[in-house]
Amino acid sequence: MSMRDHRGLIDYDAARSQATVGAGTVLHDLGPILHGIGMSMQNLGDVDTQTIAGVIGTGTHGSGRKLQNISATLIGVRAVTGSGEIVEWSIEKEPELIDAARVSMGLLGIFTAVRLQLEPRYRLRRREHCTRTEACLAHLHELAEAHRNFDFYWYPRRDEVKLRTLNPPEAPPPELPYARCIHDQEGFSHEIIARERQLKFEELEYFVPAEAGPACFREVRRRILERHRKHVGWRVLYRLIAADEGFLSPVHDRDSVAISVHQNASLPYQEYFDDIEPILRAHAGRPHWGKKHSLHGAALAALYPRWNDFMTLRRRLDPQGVFLTAPMARLLREE
Amino acid sequence: MLKSIGSKIWAIPGGHVPLLSSGEEPRDTSCDELCVLNAGHFDAHLQLTIYYEDREPVGPYPLTVAAQRVRHVRFNDLIDPQALPLDTAYAALIIADHPVVVQFSRRDTSQAANAIATTLAFAG
Repeated sequence: MSMRDHRGLIDYDAARSQATVGAGTVLHDLGPILHGIGMSMQNLGDVDTQTIAGVIGTGTHGSGRKLQNISATLIGVRAVTGSGEIVEWSIEKEPELIDAARVSMGLLGIFTAVRLQLEPRYRLRRREHCTRTEACLAHLHELAEAHRNFDFYWYPRRDEVKLRTLNPPEAPPPELPYARCIHDQEGFSHEIIARERQLKFEELEYFVPAEAGPACFREVRRRILERHRKHVGWRVLYRLIAADEGFLSPVHDRDSVAISVHQNASLPYQEYFDDIEPILRAHAGRPHWGKKHSLHGAALAALYPRWNDFMTLRRRLDPQGVFLTAPMARLLREE
Repeated sequence: MLKSIGSKIWAIPGGHVPLLSSGEEPRDTSCDELCVLNAGHFDAHLQLTIYYEDREPVGPYPLTVAAQRVRHVRFNDLIDPQALPLDTAYAALIIADHPVVVQFSRRDTSQAANAIATTLAFAG
């Protein structure tokens, strides 16, 4: 199924910083479209090659202690349900449906248009610093508090980190005397948050409660240094996401830290991911819906307080299971 | 004025990144390192190919060295197109679009008594 004809701006409300766009609009195109009407998305992830419906449906996120994932900005949707009915839901009239729709992986219907809560367009200054891992961990709390967007990469073959920060140019945070600046750039948010990625990789990502993040990362780091450095050169990414109410959102009801490990797509990854995943699970982690993990059915259901509410809604909106593809049925253990 | 120095083709047959390190990282991480001098007036674009004893070559690994600059690159850090395995014998072939000078160094901190070895790569 192609969403090629469901792209672009449909309408907008400048006073409320809200816009409705085709669900198949690619983020890379959406930025300039919104810029043209004086608006920007609140945040973006590391890449902007996905459609807006795709990032909403999978809980895609950026990083910032006070910033939610992109699906939390969904405030209205037009969809085709499993029975072929065209429906429109809004946060004002059907808040529960919107919370269910926010991370629904296409199970509730085919989104054709989405209404988003945006911000007046804004500029950001991106700065990247390198420092020792222990220096980063010693300052982790203040880094998370001081910067609008903050995350870090850890490089297993250097035991070193790269701190990545984004802030309003007019309100610069304190300097980082324990780190050396390697990149300094300013631009509009859609030009500067996402980066270009060409190299293909496999990824395992879990969201752990924010307070468990540092300890979980230390354990992952120790395990990689002990067992995996021979074959793993790819970094580990540590990001912050604010809680939301999406029924199946990985950050449902808890501020979270997302820890992701990577491997070149051309190299074996399963043994590596199989060894790291139990550490992430032991810290009450929830897997990213769009990345590698090993969980199914009951193991997933136990992580989500509103799992049953979501499944009841899914069966009501799609009684014939039109959208319950074989892979999704295996994942959710639904019939 | 010096127009150029070096060669466009270089080979390093004896690569082997030690697996273990001691001391403070990243300063003391065991590594194989490339040092490239581009004394010319044009940016040099390098393509590395890595050869192994028991598998097909991997590459190209793209690197750019700006005009009139020197660049240090650890083989440990290369991931594009894929990470090199540590503790594994390899060789590197480097092809540049402008003449450069290539030096190869190994720092081995497997034991507390650190060892450093360095040599000019073989110019083709």
